[in-house]
Amino acid sequence: MSETKPESNAFELSYVTTKEHCFKQNPNRPKSTNRRFKTAKQLATDETRYLQTKKLNIDTPTHLSIAAPPSLRPRKHYCDITGLEGRYKSPASSLRYHNVEIYQEVIKHLTPGVDQEYLSLRGANVVLK
Amino acid sequence: MPTASLSDDLPPQNLHPLREYQAPELPEPYYDRYEPDIPIAIDFGSLSVRIGLTNSEQPSNVFPNLVSKHRERKTGYNLTLVGNDLFRESVHYPTLRSGAKSPFDGLLITNWDYVESILDYSLEHLSVTSENGCLNNPIIMSEPPAATFGYRKGMYEMMFEAYQAPKVVFGIDSLFSFYANSKKKDGVVVSIGNNLTHVIPVVKGKGILLNSKRIDWGCEQELQFLQKALALKYPYFPTRLNQSHTSNIIQDHAYVSPNYAEELATYLDLDNLEKKDVVIQVPVEAAAEKAKKTEEELTRQAERRKEQGKRLQEQAQKKRLETIAQKEKEFAYYSELQEAILGLSKTEAERRVIAEEFENVEDLHKYVDGLQKAIRKFYNGDEEEKEEEVDPAAAWPLADVSDSELNEEDIKEKRKQKLLKSNYDARMRIKEEKRRAEEEKIQYDKDQQEWRARDLEDWCTAKRFELAQNISLYRKRSKIMEAMKDRKSLAAQQRMKNIAELANEKATGNGAGKKRRRNAGPTATIDNDPTDTFGTNDADWNAYRDIDKASLEDEQERTNSEILRLEEELLEHDPNFHHEDTFAVQETFDWKNLVLHKFIHGPRQSLTVAMQTEGHDADELLNNPEVIRRNHQLHVNVERIRVPEIYFQPHIAGVDQAGITELIQNILERNSDKNFEVGGQLRAFIENIFLTGGGSLLPNFEERIRLDLRSLLPSGAPLHVYKAKDPQIDPWRGMQKWSFTDEAEQSYVTKQEYEEYGPEYIKEHGLGNVCLKDF
Repeated sequence: MSETKPESNAFELSYVTTKEHCFKQNPNRPKSTNRRFKTAKQLATDETRYLQTKKLNIDTPTHLSIAAPPSLRPRKHYCDITGLEGRYKSPASSLRYHNVEIYQEVIKHLTPGVDQEYLSLRGANVVLK
Repeated sequence: MPTASLSDDLPPQNLHPLREYQAPELPEPYYDRYEPDIPIAIDFGSLSVRIGLTNSEQPSNVFPNLVSKHRERKTGYNLTLVGNDLFRESVHYPTLRSGAKSPFDGLLITNWDYVESILDYSLEHLSVTSENGCLNNPIIMSEPPAATFGYRKGMYEMMFEAYQAPKVVFGIDSLFSFYANSKKKDGVVVSIGNNLTHVIPVVKGKGILLNSKRIDWGCEQELQFLQKALALKYPYFPTRLNQSHTSNIIQDHAYVSPNYAEELATYLDLDNLEKKDVVIQVPVEAAAEKAKKTEEELTRQAERRKEQGKRLQEQAQKKRLETIAQKEKEFAYYSELQEAILGLSKTEAERRVIAEEFENVEDLHKYVDGLQKAIRKFYNGDEEEKEEEVDPAAAWPLADVSDSELNEEDIKEKRKQKLLKSNYDARMRIKEEKRRAEEEKIQYDKDQQEWRARDLEDWCTAKRFELAQNISLYRKRSKIMEAMKDRKSLAAQQRMKNIAELANEKATGNGAGKKRRRNAGPTATIDNDPTDTFGTNDADWNAYRDIDKASLEDEQERTNSEILRLEEELLEHDPNFHHEDTFAVQETFDWKNLVLHKFIHGPRQSLTVAMQTEGHDADELLNNPEVIRRNHQLHVNVERIRVPEIYFQPHIAGVDQAGITELIQNILERNSDKNFEVGGQLRAFIENIFLTGGGSLLPNFEERIRLDLRSLLPSGAPLHVYKAKDPQIDPWRGMQKWSFTDEAEQSYVTKQEYEEYGPEYIKEHGLGNVCLKDF
């Protein structure tokens, strides 16, 4: 494939990034101490722990305190299948649906597990731990 | 038929190709005006990096914040490609594209090695040179509002320990964008970023982080949501959509609905859908070639089918012959029996016949007759056999003569003749009945004719009423039949109950009845219980019908034929009754009324369904190039507004947070002086509501916020909502502009200060975060 394409210069492009950089010559640079890979979740816990150790005023904005509060407006319901207005709720799967057609054609015949997939779109699925 | 003609009239829908991210043709440029001591502004966003020296008006490099590593097999050399380069090189190494990774996971940086690669790469492209091994430029760096400790620490380490920059300042990207765009010092900044959405009030040029709020939803989450929704909508879709596909779908087709509830209610109406449905075509190859092949195959297929039919016919013929042979054998045997019993006495004959498992002599005769007829029918073909006219008196003279006048021999003969005569009579009776029915029908037709001649309208209404009654009966019954299929349904349970009750009565009821009969005399039996009114009401008999499912089907069949008959009459004589009005047509699947069909297949009938109803078989469907093409199409309709709506109603995606408008409302109502006069804080806010961030590029975003806020504010309030000139680049422009101010000069943290105070330390300024270090 690469014969027909112009010559790959991936090596040069890569070299730009990986070569010795004249502006990055610090013999005293501390060895990367804490470069262990951490997931976003672990990092978030780290941040929470860090904030707990601080004696912060109640009005100090932190990563945690600026998260938006839950909505106080009445929630509108939407069909889990189509996204249209969802006036009805299936008692078996607690999926919301737009009309009887959606119920008859989709919800009644959902293979097990798919209902949870639909619910997971709005975070209402059952998560077993 | 109007259905077909309408869809034929409509032009085919516009197709949008599925787009992947395309990197610009030109290689990443190298900056030619590098000078030391000029600040370098870096907007390190999670989607893309914008970097440049502040002696330029524009960032010199803008590229996706992605790194891809690839091990070249031949040389064993590790390739590390960054940004657009990896897309350009993916023609040579396809894994580069699929292996591209961002240093971010959500809003947090998880891979600092990647960050370092990206910064190395971008500084090289700025043509940074250095004699002392250090980066001799001050750095202006973006960070999210309320950046985490880990983020700042990592960045500080990178800047001061790896590059040994002289000084660094951090600021909030959206506030820089506000700084670049806004002429006023007060306002509300709404930043729709790649992972997060923020609402930040700004007072006197200073972002008030205390009253800022963050929604954990951004472009990235949008993509994932759409991807999941489409996967559920088309579970058997042949190709997998990747992030860059969905990203382009959102970019090209999603828009914020100014009035969501209203637009949603009519979104799938045909005329709306015609305008709003977007068809996305995934490229398919080799469809045409396949179709050509079927041309030959079709003839072969037809031949094969013909042959198969022939074989089946032969088999059926063989079977028929076999059965007829069997019947002939039986006929021979039983007619011998008939002969034999003629000579016997009545009781003796009866005994013989019963031994042969017949109920009585009559039964035997009937059976033999039937056999004879079947055999005759087989040999004469299926023609109606003709009954030759006979004179009963002449043909069977002995039949009517009394026994006393006859001798033994004649009595035998008489029995035979009597039998034949009775058969003949029965046939005649049937004929007579047929004739009468025919006459009745003629009479009925005549009556109807007269009725129509007298008052056509009256006739029509009467017939239509009758038809409607039948149809409703049919519907009701089919509902019951449907319910019967489900073992747990009410109808099925009622039936089981009835059966159980009847069984119970049979078991105990009979015994009890007999006892009662003996004890209390005939008045109290079940049969003539005066209090029992069962049967006076016609519906009572339904109890028996409920038990027998088969009879329900029979009745349904009867009603159906009645409906057909009525419709035929109406079609013939009622000028206002057309083919479309018939029950059958009404009952057939009309995709235009089906929400689901329109949702999945858009404003055209699904070709697969259409071909199936026309009776094409599965093979034909599979090989039809048009069907294959259609199977590779996505219809994006409701999703176009559903996905952006999440910014306003995050609960749609399960995010338990208030939407953008509600957050702005909170700021306006709680955190301002509620002063609408000139010079009032609230007025300053609503006069300057500013949108920035890549997510705000969706059409109608300002419009929607304007409309939502308008409904909350008093009429005539000077509301002004506007968007950044270039929501993606403006944070960098703000940094560039800000770098020349005194405030910037005073806010730098030097390497020395960093070493003294640690990574928590920043100097607070109007566009930056709050310092959390306790002194």
